[in-house]
Amino acid sequence: MKTDYEIIVVGGGHAGAEACLASARLGHSTLLITLDKTNISRMSCNPAIGGLAKGHLVAEIDALGGEMAKIADSTGIQFKMLNQSKGPSVWSPRAQSDKIEYSKQMTAVINQQPNLDVLEDCGTDIILENNKIIAINTKNSGNISCKALIITAGTFLNGKIFIGTETQTGGRIGEQAAYGLTESLNSHGIISGRLKTGTPARIEKDSIDFTKTTIQYGDKNPAPFSFQTTDFHPPNVPCYLTHTNTRTHSILERGFDESPLFTGVIKGVGPRYCPSIEDKIVRFKDRTAHHIFLEPEWYNANQYYVNGFSSSLPKDIQLAAIHTIPGLENAEFIIPGYAIEYDFFPSRQIYSTMETKQISGLYLAGQINGTSGYEEAAALGLMAAINASAKIKQIEPLILKRSESYIGVLIDDLITKDPKEPYRMFTSSAEYRLLLRYDTADRRLSEKAFQHGLLPERFYLTVKSKEKLRHTLIEYIQKTNISPTDINPILESKKESLLKSGVILSKILKRPSITFDDISCFLPQNLVDECSKHQNLKNIIEVDIKYEGYIKRNLSQVKSLANNENKKIPSSLDFRKITSITKEAQEKLFKIKPETIGQASRIPGVKPSDITTLLILLSK
Amino acid sequence: MASQANTIVALSTAPGFGAIAVVRLTGPISLSIISTLTNKKAFKPRLATFTKIFYKTNHLDDIIVTYFKAPESYTGEDVVEISCHGSQYIIERIIELCINEGARNAEPGEFTKRAFLNGKMDLSQAEGVADIIHTQTQAAHLASTNLLDGHTGIFIKKCQKQLIDIISLLELELDFSDQEIDFTPKSKIENQLVDLQNTLQMLIQSFNYGKLVKEGIRVPIIGPPNSGKSSLLNAFLQEERVIVSPTAGTTRDSIEESFRRGGYQFRLIDTAGLRQTTDSVEQKGIERTNKYIQQADLILFIIDPSKPVSDFQKYLPNNLDDTIIILNKIDIISESQLNNKQKYFKNFNTITISAKTHNGIHRLADKMVNHIKVKRPKNENIIITRKRHKYSLINTKQSLEHALFSIKDNQPSEIIVMDLRIALDSLSEILGKVYNDDILNNIFKNFCIGK
Repeated sequence: MKTDYEIIVVGGGHAGAEACLASARLGHSTLLITLDKTNISRMSCNPAIGGLAKGHLVAEIDALGGEMAKIADSTGIQFKMLNQSKGPSVWSPRAQSDKIEYSKQMTAVINQQPNLDVLEDCGTDIILENNKIIAINTKNSGNISCKALIITAGTFLNGKIFIGTETQTGGRIGEQAAYGLTESLNSHGIISGRLKTGTPARIEKDSIDFTKTTIQYGDKNPAPFSFQTTDFHPPNVPCYLTHTNTRTHSILERGFDESPLFTGVIKGVGPRYCPSIEDKIVRFKDRTAHHIFLEPEWYNANQYYVNGFSSSLPKDIQLAAIHTIPGLENAEFIIPGYAIEYDFFPSRQIYSTMETKQISGLYLAGQINGTSGYEEAAALGLMAAINASAKIKQIEPLILKRSESYIGVLIDDLITKDPKEPYRMFTSSAEYRLLLRYDTADRRLSEKAFQHGLLPERFYLTVKSKEKLRHTLIEYIQKTNISPTDINPILESKKESLLKSGVILSKILKRPSITFDDISCFLPQNLVDECSKHQNLKNIIEVDIKYEGYIKRNLSQVKSLANNENKKIPSSLDFRKITSITKEAQEKLFKIKPETIGQASRIPGVKPSDITTLLILLSK
Repeated sequence: MASQANTIVALSTAPGFGAIAVVRLTGPISLSIISTLTNKKAFKPRLATFTKIFYKTNHLDDIIVTYFKAPESYTGEDVVEISCHGSQYIIERIIELCINEGARNAEPGEFTKRAFLNGKMDLSQAEGVADIIHTQTQAAHLASTNLLDGHTGIFIKKCQKQLIDIISLLELELDFSDQEIDFTPKSKIENQLVDLQNTLQMLIQSFNYGKLVKEGIRVPIIGPPNSGKSSLLNAFLQEERVIVSPTAGTTRDSIEESFRRGGYQFRLIDTAGLRQTTDSVEQKGIERTNKYIQQADLILFIIDPSKPVSDFQKYLPNNLDDTIIILNKIDIISESQLNNKQKYFKNFNTITISAKTHNGIHRLADKMVNHIKVKRPKNENIIITRKRHKYSLINTKQSLEHALFSIKDNQPSEIIVMDLRIALDSLSEILGKVYNDDILNNIFKNFCIGK
């Protein structure tokens, strides 16, 4: 067995899968250590990829050369573009996934990847020399040396599962937890904490009476996540909607005495945007019903996910409560709902490269950063690998700005906001939403991905030619005059007010009811034909023109803030010794140790005047 | 930090009464601001230029402008120095004009800070600046704590909460549209924004009232020669002897006297009579009178009803809303003359008195008190007194206006939120920053999120 790799990834979940693939593709001999080779890229919770803001992350992972979007496209069983009634910057793709197929396909990609080995084992200790990672010790295979170590352990570190008063150890139901690594990191000065999350019951398909539920399909004309996906014809498998009632709630209340959440047995903080059903009925007492979605876990699944019914109450209470829900009167459990508590490492301890500030060559990524969600994890794993590679190659790291990506917002928030609950991506966390549309991810990021060697040239060239075409068409639309006789029939058919004199085409397209197709007859036919070959390009151009003014405003905001954003703060600076800043700023800055003025300015409690003082000191 | 890119303005001579004051601009659009304000196309660097500055098309003051081109300036940026006459009114208007053209009020020490950051200062000077900023932060912090404890602070906090609530409603719809939540219709959000806007307007106006209370009410007595201006001033002083306190030891004009009534201090200013004249000394007096009219909070326009309308008609002040027309000499003029003029002024705020016999002086004083009283905000405890706060509120209100426009224009929520977030940032300049987490907290607290 080989015992010497450049990059080792510990943990085969969504972060680990992206990390090991990126590392190997960037030319590094890579080892993925996983507890169970048959569980790579398993979806621990809901059978879905994407969703609000998360769909944006998937598109960005794709543009950076990651794998998630492609596999989600080929294993999705229902696709939906969310928020289509809202503005274009918050449209977000979401797919119901075939969990089994997703894991299978990702495993196959990993197995076929040159430069990448997979070892079934458990990492237990990190080995350092001069505060630098040189190896990892494993339970069964001893020391394996490396230049960089990426830990992507998800919920497995000291994982503890709760169902009512019963507790068991485990990283996911039916799977053992991982021990040793947290303590090893702690012993080298890295602080850990506990977080909690939960998942609902899975039930037997044949025990559901679907006639009492509302059927819900995905989009008729689905859009894929990946800009590389062509010839896209996924199935459209439905989900089913039902709801709880007051009887459900009163049964659940009977179990509160045995709830690990309410009796204080669970110490970890859970996500408020993903509360358990017991949490919901306590916090929103006056609600007499909550939606429940029944989602197939794979194509032709006999197993359904009871979305909205996450719970850690005793099994019999859960079942009795479920039996009050229309359609679920005779439901049979395959797995009951459960809560899980696990170790994480507060992200103020990492640089924006994902490398720990304490230990050189050690990268932490995924749920252990204090996030939740497959998409967040995958994005972080990918970024950790790109930057571990950059460090080994001694090239510039890839640090994405808040103004160019949700991934940039994600990492920056994790470091500067020091979140107290599992962090989930929201579009509202991005200051410049209009610049971060999901359909512009390739435009924003593919150049960087190509330069870092992760995006194959042919895809990069596709993006470039798409960009060129977009520019040409936009310029044409902005420069071409149109006469009333030509345009009025179209305006009339759209019940728009008519023109008396000529006007440039972009002015027409700016009207809310006018689409690209309405004016395409005034554009060169060859360009329009070319445009149709690119996924979604017509819509992209339309939005670019319609929101031109607002986009420009966002851009000028970014520009006005750009001055000191990247100004470095030396790590040697002792914030506690700066007497001319406020006490609160001293403490916050000392705790988080921001790398740049930009980061420092976003730490809650640090005032603009503190930043001024820092700038003055740094100019010395 | 945005500050570096912005253009800022401040009074750079010591505040208070002086013959001449210097207002200074620094930043990229300094030159274009002064060009706009003076209708001048170009200023030569380092050359003092005599010119006029206009306020709402009226000639505001004669000024001397000196332009220092970057980097050859104090701050290393484009700097414009405006030397004007040292009247508080003129200084404030000039700063206001600059702000209207895109500058913003400088923060304490900001000119020096820029000078340092642009390498115009050495280290020892720079450390001094850091200390100054620190001290000022402490002072500002203290001031804002005081503000927060008061009624006004609580009130502004309420406004901030309202705005956060509105933003939360829109963000809720954007980030949690997949939840089973009834989203708020735009019309309701629109109403809430209009309400908030009105509240802010009230706060902004309270600044003017606050100033009246703090600095006294400027009341020039205007009128043609021999209409009884000086007699009126004397009548006030004699009648109100018990409470009159001729302000001593100040640098005020000798023709200014003040008295208190109804909790207000009225600063009466006797002025030169208004008439056509070629006498240069008298002309100067009339020019001064016009300036008093511009600065007035309340004007007493006094006439002799026995004189023809042509005697005073063209001197009637523009701001008649803040003018009391005094028909003087009722002890000697005929009833028909009085009736005639009363008819002429029947749509105005008028009073009949005799300055000589003091008949009606108390009625006039009460009228003056009432005139100010109606400007009092609904809640007298809620008054803003700092100019910085006023401008933050004005900026907030402007951004709300943009948001309201977007609603009417059927723009999507994320566009509306864009301006509301800017509004929140402006408002938060008074009370401290609001983070996205605060908005999410608000959402999680009030809405059942989570499948």
